[in-house]
Amino acid sequence: MRIAIIIAAAWSLTAPAFAQTPPPPPPEGQGGKDEGQLVVDVTGGQRAALPIAVPYMPTPQAADTAAGNTGALGRQVAEIVTADLRNSGLFTPIGPSGLAPVSFPQVTAPDFGYFSTTGAQNLVQGFVQANPNGSLTVGCYLYDVAAQSELARQGYVVQPRDWRRAAHRCADSVYSRLTGEGAYFDTRIVYVSETGPARRRIKRLAIMDYDGANHRFLTNGQWTVLTPRFAPNQQTITFMTYQDDRPRVMVYELDSGQTRPLVSQPYMTFAPRYSPDSRYVIFSMAVNGNTDIYRIPVAGGTPQRLTNAPGIDTGGSYSPDGGRIVFESDRGGSQQLYVMSADGSNQRRISFGGGGYATPVWSPRGDLIAFTKTGGFRIGVMNTDGGAERILTSGGGEGPTWAPNGRAVMFTRGLSSGELWYVDVASGATRRVPTPLGGSDPAWSPLRP
Amino acid sequence: MDRAEATGLGVSIAGHVALLALLSLALVTAGRIPLSPPPMEVSFVDEVALTSAAPQPSPAPAAQATAPDVGPTEDAAPAAPLAPAPAPPEAEVKPPKPVAEEAAPAPPTPRRAERPAPQTPRRAEQRPVPPAPEGTGRTTRRSGLGDLDPRSFGRDPAAQRSAPPAATMNARAAADIASAIARQVQPCADRQINPGPGAERIVTPIILSLNRDGSLKTRPRVGEQRGLDDENSRYARRVADLAINAFASCAPLRGLPQELYDVPRGWANFTMNYRLPG
Repeated sequence: MRIAIIIAAAWSLTAPAFAQTPPPPPPEGQGGKDEGQLVVDVTGGQRAALPIAVPYMPTPQAADTAAGNTGALGRQVAEIVTADLRNSGLFTPIGPSGLAPVSFPQVTAPDFGYFSTTGAQNLVQGFVQANPNGSLTVGCYLYDVAAQSELARQGYVVQPRDWRRAAHRCADSVYSRLTGEGAYFDTRIVYVSETGPARRRIKRLAIMDYDGANHRFLTNGQWTVLTPRFAPNQQTITFMTYQDDRPRVMVYELDSGQTRPLVSQPYMTFAPRYSPDSRYVIFSMAVNGNTDIYRIPVAGGTPQRLTNAPGIDTGGSYSPDGGRIVFESDRGGSQQLYVMSADGSNQRRISFGGGGYATPVWSPRGDLIAFTKTGGFRIGVMNTDGGAERILTSGGGEGPTWAPNGRAVMFTRGLSSGELWYVDVASGATRRVPTPLGGSDPAWSPLRP
Repeated sequence: MDRAEATGLGVSIAGHVALLALLSLALVTAGRIPLSPPPMEVSFVDEVALTSAAPQPSPAPAAQATAPDVGPTEDAAPAAPLAPAPAPPEAEVKPPKPVAEEAAPAPPTPRRAERPAPQTPRRAEQRPVPPAPEGTGRTTRRSGLGDLDPRSFGRDPAAQRSAPPAATMNARAAADIASAIARQVQPCADRQINPGPGAERIVTPIILSLNRDGSLKTRPRVGEQRGLDDENSRYARRVADLAINAFASCAPLRGLPQELYDVPRGWANFTMNYRLPG
């Protein structure tokens, strides 16, 4: 790493006169202030994971709760915070095992001297407390070890069943404060769980926390399912199913567990995705041998056709402001990416590289489009005008979905076994998401309310 | 040898003996003459340190005011000098480390700076002392001054007549100090972690106020950042953290010239522009 030191001094006011005449004596106690102040330029830093200490979290008084003893919960919360930060690829957590225990009073008065010896630049401390009404309070404090200062503090009051969410929220606050990025640990993933031989593959809709915890199946595997997508309001999930050997788009109500068809027309429908306001779904429908992109209200209604070019137009994804849609089309002879206005006007091609491009997804930040580069199946990103294309994965991947902060992308790797991975877009760090069975087609939820 | 030759030889020998005696006497006499000017002790240092731009002679008033046992600067304030000493201000009570302790490991400083009497009382000399038990105030610490009137301290008429110019900061000295500060901060700056793409375009000025011992007097203040755009503005707060951390981790600064502490553009107050490498 090359470090540049530039030295500068502000001298414009006195330098010419200095050589000629001695300066007048400075008034007592006013030297060096305001005008003509000394200026020092320092350039330094590195691209590396940030060392951060996360000791076990104490409890003011051990108590049994529906989620377990608060002493044990304090240890588990610290472990989840550690795992979240490590999984991001941006931190090198130190602890919790191996670190000196922290007493409850020390939570707000850290032993900075000790933690400075661990090599940590930052420190996360907290506590778990049982409340009289049965809820839990998880306190979370972030410190700068060198500056010996507090950077952030949060308290989360949760029901015992949500204690893991409190840990994720704590990690989110640390991540956001130290990276400047939005949070994404307190999120869920809906995906297709796969098991069985290739000819009789059972594909079920499943949902879990972003780290694989709290896993449960939403469908029983009677019908094959594909391409689930979270509604931004997290009330419904839309997906494609081969129910009765008829490919069509369905809507799953998360509260009731009810499933219903999105489109009443008897045509094949697939590749659904919500609008940012959760009011509409765009999808592809094959009518008379031509596949175009349509839009329909989530509650149902008459589909509105947005494309009409010959060929297959599919994989539509809204920009976060809802004003544009990126999609893939083979109208030019190969699978390429196109952008159009939300009403279907102003269609223009944005990808021109070799090979094909598929499954585009607009970043929640609006600055990038993630895609699958066919012919090798790799995940890449490009600017919304098609520029600055770069490949993020070298070991295969398809079907990207953005984390709500627009910094990480989850995807499927290994078409035969089916694994879920995600990659940090800036650093390229990758991490596998554990699933009980094989997995594909992940969709990342927004931050949980 | 005839008689004439013998006579001549004798005269010659006698003459040489007389000449030798005369020269020896002159040599002894010459050894008593003092050399002028007297020899000056010179020592060579192999490290170049910061030097003051002040003229060689040091201001005499400070030397006059420095007693063998000098109290804090604030003790010399005219207000309430004879009352029982109140508790000193906390800011003066707890500097992180007294200069007296830091002076030993400090890098070598030019002898030129050491030899003259200090212009201002050193930090160690400013340390508060326990209140005088007899209520005579801190001015009782004038042991060794005989019958000198303490009220005359700092009012030496001779000093007023020939007050030499104070230390000043010229461009060279400023560059040297800036370089010394940057060198000390650099290892801590190198440890800062780039939070994300575009953060290296942010330039963060932090306004620093230091004590004489190089420690932070107040928490650094972040000035208006430059280089912000749509891509990197999310990192602005974090980069400000890094700027403060880069300095605070390597504070206190050491080895900066005391005589250039609170002169105009001195290092008592300065700005550090921090940025991540591209």
